[in-house]
Amino acid sequence: MSDTVKVAINKLSFFYGQFQALKKITLPLYRNKVTAFIGPSGCGKSTLLRVLNRIYELYPRQHAEGEVLLDGVNILLPSQDLNILRAKVGMVFQKPTPFPMTIFDNIAFGLQLYEKLPRSELEARVETALRRAALWDEVKDKLNASGTSLSGGQQQRLCIARSVATKPELILLDEPCSALDPISTAKIEELIYELTNDYTIVIVTHNMQQASRVSDHTAFMYLGELVEFGLTEQIFTTPGNKRTEDYITGRFG
Amino acid sequence: MVAGPLSLDAPPQFSSAIIRRAHRRDWMFHRVTQASALAVLAIFLGIMWSLLSGAWPAMAAFGFGFLWTESWNPVREVFGAAAPIYGTLVTSAIAMAIAVPVGIGIAIFLTELCPRQLRRPIGVAVELLAGIPSIIYGIWGLFILAPFLQQNVQPWAIDAFAGIPVLEDLFAGPPYGIGIFTAGLILAIMTLPFICAITRDVFETVPPVLKEAAYGLGATTWEVLWKVVLPYARGGVVGGIMLALGRTLGETMAVTFVIGNAHRISESLFAPGTTISAAIANEFTEALGDLYVSSLIELGLILFFVTFCVLAAAQYMLYRLEQRAGGARA
Repeated sequence: MSDTVKVAINKLSFFYGQFQALKKITLPLYRNKVTAFIGPSGCGKSTLLRVLNRIYELYPRQHAEGEVLLDGVNILLPSQDLNILRAKVGMVFQKPTPFPMTIFDNIAFGLQLYEKLPRSELEARVETALRRAALWDEVKDKLNASGTSLSGGQQQRLCIARSVATKPELILLDEPCSALDPISTAKIEELIYELTNDYTIVIVTHNMQQASRVSDHTAFMYLGELVEFGLTEQIFTTPGNKRTEDYITGRFG
Repeated sequence: MVAGPLSLDAPPQFSSAIIRRAHRRDWMFHRVTQASALAVLAIFLGIMWSLLSGAWPAMAAFGFGFLWTESWNPVREVFGAAAPIYGTLVTSAIAMAIAVPVGIGIAIFLTELCPRQLRRPIGVAVELLAGIPSIIYGIWGLFILAPFLQQNVQPWAIDAFAGIPVLEDLFAGPPYGIGIFTAGLILAIMTLPFICAITRDVFETVPPVLKEAAYGLGATTWEVLWKVVLPYARGGVVGGIMLALGRTLGETMAVTFVIGNAHRISESLFAPGTTISAAIANEFTEALGDLYVSSLIELGLILFFVTFCVLAAAQYMLYRLEQRAGGARA
């Protein structure tokens, strides 16, 4: 069992200054599976995501306690190199964040950070990433156009392609579809499903149907605590906790 | 049928007096703002007319040759603008070469790297620097900076660059202290706070999530700043530089103190020179003869034109830059 656990979160607490946003969360993330974090606004699900690549370190007075073991190594230790960690853990945000450069460079930027690639291979890797994100056919004739000239859904797929290109081990998706229309959403969900062949994925979402469609495991959080964790099927059909049931049936949240 | 204020059958009765008054107010508001806008145009045309008519005798006497004649001889009444034009452009170039990288560097430090407790003190210091009147920079430049450069920096630079082609000519003796280089340095110090303050404000408009996305790929601070923050803020940064450049081209007082006021073009940056505005400020009160005065006014016209051209060129550069990036700016 343990070799299928990609990330073991162990008694993780998180603080914004004095405020405790996560209370001793313990949770496994399984290899090549999709885990969804659900819960009402302010429950700490995005915070939990932001601990996994330590992006919170950009801001003062935020700190985490406990353990997050990525392949058995505690990434919360001060000795962990942040750049290497973030190269291993890709992140896609709620709003699309194309960089102010061409579509090609948006992908190549991440690739060139850690790899010295000859031009032909670079082009091949960019194409592969765009194909994986189901964007290649739409942009192959305008790779030199600005990344910001794409539509919202295309921009988000560009951001996913950017994450995928660097071959991370874990991909964090923070409400990736909340700013998108249903068609773009469907494309991205399909993409998430395909990506599990190679990657371990965590998705934060407000959308119950989405969680039930794309994820293998679901964690329900409330007020900084993990209320329930289990197979998605089981959480959505026979939740063990009253609050989980109330939330997923729409009685609160 | 209930006749009351809430009845649907009786639409509210608008008083025609109120409507008329509202229209009159709108009309007046429109006219007042329009008049202000037209006043700007009128002032602009008035200044152009004054400059052109004032400069006409000189233009008639010297023609276009005025632009590339170096001689400035009030006794024989032969005037040329080459030296002040050269001085204006070179001092501004020196100022930009120093102030742009340093100003952007300070802005980057303040927004991205500086510990929070230090941000305000350094930020306030930069803003105070912007508030110092130029006459004070002039006095400081003449009594403190120029002697310091003369005794410490210039002799060293002259020795160090001796024997290196080009540089040897640019930094040639004797060390006067005052001169083109000192004027450029003073201008750099004066414009630094502008560039820094504007750049900092623009950097703060970069969405945090964009930076998070770049850091999230494993980029270092340098890569995030250079590849993401700076390109995103490019338009604003160039705008700030333009504003600063406009100021350096026309800056008068501080430059007049330290430039040496010599109407000649020297290879060495350490040699005295003059700028357009410094020449006008220095000589206007003692200018005898219509041609002398007229030549100074023509200098003013040229400054106007030079400033316009430089700013237009900069705008064009920015446009090209954005074209090349595929308009890659949100």
